[in-house]
Amino acid sequence: MMESKSFPGNVDSLDSLREYVGERAQQAGLAKKPTYALKLAVDEIATNIILYGYQEAGLEADFTVLSEITEQALIVILEDIAAPFDPLARELPDSGDLTKSLEDREIGGLGIYLTINGVDEFSYEYLNGKNRNKFVMKIAST
Amino acid sequence: MAFQIESVVGEQVARLTLHGELDSLSARVFQTEIEKIANQPIEALVLDMEDLSFMSSAGLRVLIYSKQKIGPKLAIYIVKPQELIVDTLTKTGLQHSVTIVDQYPV
Repeated sequence: MMESKSFPGNVDSLDSLREYVGERAQQAGLAKKPTYALKLAVDEIATNIILYGYQEAGLEADFTVLSEITEQALIVILEDIAAPFDPLARELPDSGDLTKSLEDREIGGLGIYLTINGVDEFSYEYLNGKNRNKFVMKIAST
Repeated sequence: MAFQIESVVGEQVARLTLHGELDSLSARVFQTEIEKIANQPIEALVLDMEDLSFMSSAGLRVLIYSKQKIGPKLAIYIVKPQELIVDTLTKTGLQHSVTIVDQYPV
């Protein structure tokens, strides 16, 4: 059964968003490390939605977390009504960027890099006027 | 957990103790602390992270900002970071630009 919860589109929501994702991860029986990785991934994408999708565009709106626990996985979908934005379309830092010293670093792209690296599956679609960022964490079989 | 930060700024060393969760909201507080010390002749920035339980890329950006703002000679020490935060530093290659230690002075 899909569960749905909405949050106001500002950075004050991030704390309660992570707490909620943590609760769902616990219900799904995820271990500590994948739970942290999922919280981090959801936090990163939600931050982009809030800062760029909403605030930069002068849009005041909620975003919604849809989640479902199946036998195989915990599925989390972030839905927002900002302009279409595909996080996978931007260029990710490559190995050359990641070995640069701090003073030569460009600030950006790390959040999406951590997202994609942290979850088992990440996908994006724009559907019915909404951005849908989908995260899948597989549940280890016992 | 709410984010908290304490700063002790000496002649050459600035020591910041971070508690709670560092996300794009709390990173603003962290960055403000860095801005306060940016024009001082600091040689080492010591970040005590034992009680920091979460750090997003917003926190990483403040680390990058620190080095760029204070200068390339700045040594950044991260004291006792939790394992999952070390993972983030490692994945993003930032562990090469900071020194992870169990205590400071080392």
